[in-house]
Amino acid sequence: MQSANRPTDRTVQLMATCLCDAFFDDVARATVEVLEHVGCEVEFPENQTCCGQPAFNCGDWSASREVMRHTARVFDGSKPVIVPSGSCAAMLFHGAPLEFEKEKDLPTIQKLANRTWELADFLVNGLGIEKWSGRFPARIAFHRACHTRGTGSAEAALKLLESIEGLEVVPFGEAEQCCGFGGTFSVSFPHVSSSMGCLKLEHLTEMNPDFIVSGDMSCLMHLSGLAERGEKPVKTLHFAQILQTALHRHG
Amino acid sequence: MAEQKVELFARRLDHGIQKAVHSNSAAGTEKRYNVLGTDYSAPDDLRRLAGQIRQHSIEYLDTYLEQAEQSLKRQGAHVHFAVTAEDACRAVSDILKKAGAKKVVKSKSMISEEIYLNDHLGTMGIESVETDLGEYIIQIDGDHPSHIVKPIIHKNRRDIAKSFEREGLGDYNDDPETITRRARVFMRDKYLQADAGITGANFVSAESGRLVLVTNEGNSRFCLAAPKIHIALVGIEKVIPSDADLAVLLNLLGRSATGQQLTVYTEFINGPARTDRPSGPQEMHVIFVDNQRSQILASDCREILRCIRCGACLNVCPVYRQASGHAYRSVYPGPLGAVLSPLLAGKKFKELADLPKASSLCGACNEVCPVDIPIPDLLLRLRNRGHQEHAPSPGTPPMGAFAKLASSPLIWRFAMKSNKVMNLVPLEKLPLPYLQPWLKTRTLPAWRGGEFRSWMKSRHKK
Amino acid sequence: MSTAREQIFSSVRAALTPLPERTPRPVFSKDVAEPKWLAAETDSLALFQKRAEATGTKCFTDMEACASWLRAQAVRVVYIPPPLTRLVALCSEFCEVTSEYSRARVNEIDAAFTPSAGAIAESGSIILSDGSTPDRLAALAPWHHIALVSRAEIHRTIADALAAMPADPNLIWVTGPSKTADVEGILIQGVHGPGAQACLIL
Ligand code: SF4
Repeated sequence: MQSANRPTDRTVQLMATCLCDAFFDDVARATVEVLEHVGCEVEFPENQTCCGQPAFNCGDWSASREVMRHTARVFDGSKPVIVPSGSCAAMLFHGAPLEFEKEKDLPTIQKLANRTWELADFLVNGLGIEKWSGRFPARIAFHRACHTRGTGSAEAALKLLESIEGLEVVPFGEAEQCCGFGGTFSVSFPHVSSSMGCLKLEHLTEMNPDFIVSGDMSCLMHLSGLAERGEKPVKTLHFAQILQTALHRHG
Repeated sequence: MAEQKVELFARRLDHGIQKAVHSNSAAGTEKRYNVLGTDYSAPDDLRRLAGQIRQHSIEYLDTYLEQAEQSLKRQGAHVHFAVTAEDACRAVSDILKKAGAKKVVKSKSMISEEIYLNDHLGTMGIESVETDLGEYIIQIDGDHPSHIVKPIIHKNRRDIAKSFEREGLGDYNDDPETITRRARVFMRDKYLQADAGITGANFVSAESGRLVLVTNEGNSRFCLAAPKIHIALVGIEKVIPSDADLAVLLNLLGRSATGQQLTVYTEFINGPARTDRPSGPQEMHVIFVDNQRSQILASDCREILRCIRCGACLNVCPVYRQASGHAYRSVYPGPLGAVLSPLLAGKKFKELADLPKASSLCGACNEVCPVDIPIPDLLLRLRNRGHQEHAPSPGTPPMGAFAKLASSPLIWRFAMKSNKVMNLVPLEKLPLPYLQPWLKTRTLPAWRGGEFRSWMKSRHKK
Repeated sequence: MSTAREQIFSSVRAALTPLPERTPRPVFSKDVAEPKWLAAETDSLALFQKRAEATGTKCFTDMEACASWLRAQAVRVVYIPPPLTRLVALCSEFCEVTSEYSRARVNEIDAAFTPSAGAIAESGSIILSDGSTPDRLAALAPWHHIALVSRAEIHRTIADALAAMPADPNLIWVTGPSKTADVEGILIQGVHGPGAQACLIL
């Protein structure tokens, strides 16, 4: 689905995502440190906002295109664009070309799509990193975020996680099932969305993992929000945070 | 605040039904996954190939439909065309009237559900009996199927036993085996007395004119054993180029639908009885039904016409598992229905324009679809169409202001920074219509707007 | 010519004409959908037996074993088409044998032998055609159905069978006994068709 010749230069542009901008600065920081550890120079275009996915998913494609045009201007150039979220990355490389399919500036949008990498995908399939150094003694359940279906992201993240000393990835049932977030779906279908999330939590916690890990803060925000309301809080981590922490615990 | 209809239905759904739908669907998903894994090293390549075969078939429908018509005629079948659902119903009853047929046995066919054939035949004074066990139970209950392969997934044995008792098929007995035996005995007489058998078709091979029918119960075979007339109702999109394509399609259909390599009965119908082959119906009629399909072919959602009705997308769909089939208010539920039903509604699109919204866009449906239909993309296109046609969409926040904000970096940054003030506000008290449904079952993390930006800046100064 | 026909064809054409390009017909090899375990199976007869048993079809290779199974099943009336005289003799020992399939006796005849038009090893399916089966009901209505399969007519794969379909008005692949899981997902055999499916390989 994604272009085979995405750039792999080590000077990269970071799209931090609006969720990290608003809530999860620690995840964005972890992303920067992880990228720098593998020798990347990370640029952060200041004018970035959001990928436009909320409007896209609501069906308001003209509003979404307005945001996407802005994003395409902000991330002009030829460097790889790295996104620490499978969902926002998919918006850039798949959703955007879809909403621009009848627009004149489709080529501009396609160019951006062809430079976009989800973080784990970039590390493993872009830079060829196979192992991650450091230690992280814990048992984790890894939730494969839905928008990484059909991409190499989940396998890439798992490959790195499993290579970390002391870290054990535990299996769980119905792994293909969604966490129920779905953006505005979570507020327009609150019952269905929460029920999906509770089921997901049941599965994820089957083996009592220390952390629930994913490459998408949106899923994790939904899951931890549900668990906290249900008074059975869970600990969640973005996989970049594990990579980052593992490095600090190195030797 | 008004609610989404699927949400409302799911919230009110009986807990027992929801559990049954969930576990039955999950079991179906697992079976499919296991059999494909055991049998193929690259099932996704096979799905893509099947997708291309079907996409090719519909994009050359003009050619193949004509070829199928010729082939069928060559074998002695009568070929009819019906533009609308009403036309299709009338075509069936005209054939029956002409032959003086009063009793009909029917094998399961989604298109006959789609055109409400049984209701029509009823008003014409023709008895039409559904012979598939599940469909028969639906018929005696005056109910609607809630799954395209497992029509009574929403019923339990006690419900069924009560219906059988009411219909005079014996005293209350909820043993599934007894239920099945009673249906066997009852159907026997119906088959032998029927004047005509009505079926659908899973595929029609243009080259050979063969109609392919798959079942597990053997009822379609019975419908074509005793009666003298066979009427097949076929959506125009069911045409495939040749028999050779079935090697791919049949191998995926059984595995995707029920985890079987092949369904028990795979039947190839090649015309009416002949003097040297006297068994079976003497008259064969094929009615090709459009009912909006050519309009769908013209739309940007034509990929949905690839569908081979396996039901895998229903089984895997987390929303279907929560809401069950009736939530979709149409013959086709689940992800397939969320795309197909509003399109089949034609001018009444808006009435079902909420269905494409009933999805978290997780994409599991596309991942299991044997013909690789990009269902999430089609849902999104339909959402866009709904938005453009101002279809009502309760609970969907307006996006104009968001777009303005997200295209104005200065305001965005200011908003991010000042958001921290939210940490001091009791969120539950805020009159924000889209925040409350979130907060009812979830908490929000603490606002840390702008923190990352400052951190990034401070590092660059160093 | 019917107007409905013209209307449908013209809207189909109208829908397709604006397409900038149409999806070409894919080229694929005949064996593309063969399961990965098939290559290791060199003996079609053995494979057929294995797959047939796995899908619930009993396989017999001699008449005695088949007859004693029917005896154990307490069969009362068996239909055996001519010229299977030896089988007739074997079955006559314990039940009524009829050489004519009469629809008047549909509910009495509880076992039937019918010749098949071959079999498919890959899927363990029996192929029945109008040419080989005198009455479709004979292979469908009795609780026990035994298809007579000739070794020489076993196709190795589904694709092979598709490529060699006879031009009979009706051809059916039977893969196991009639079944349903409509009631609570519980598997029940023998819904409308045979509850016990077997084949006698000759
Ligand atoms: S859309 Fe695909 S998965 Fe769903 S019923 Fe149709 S063929 Fe099966």
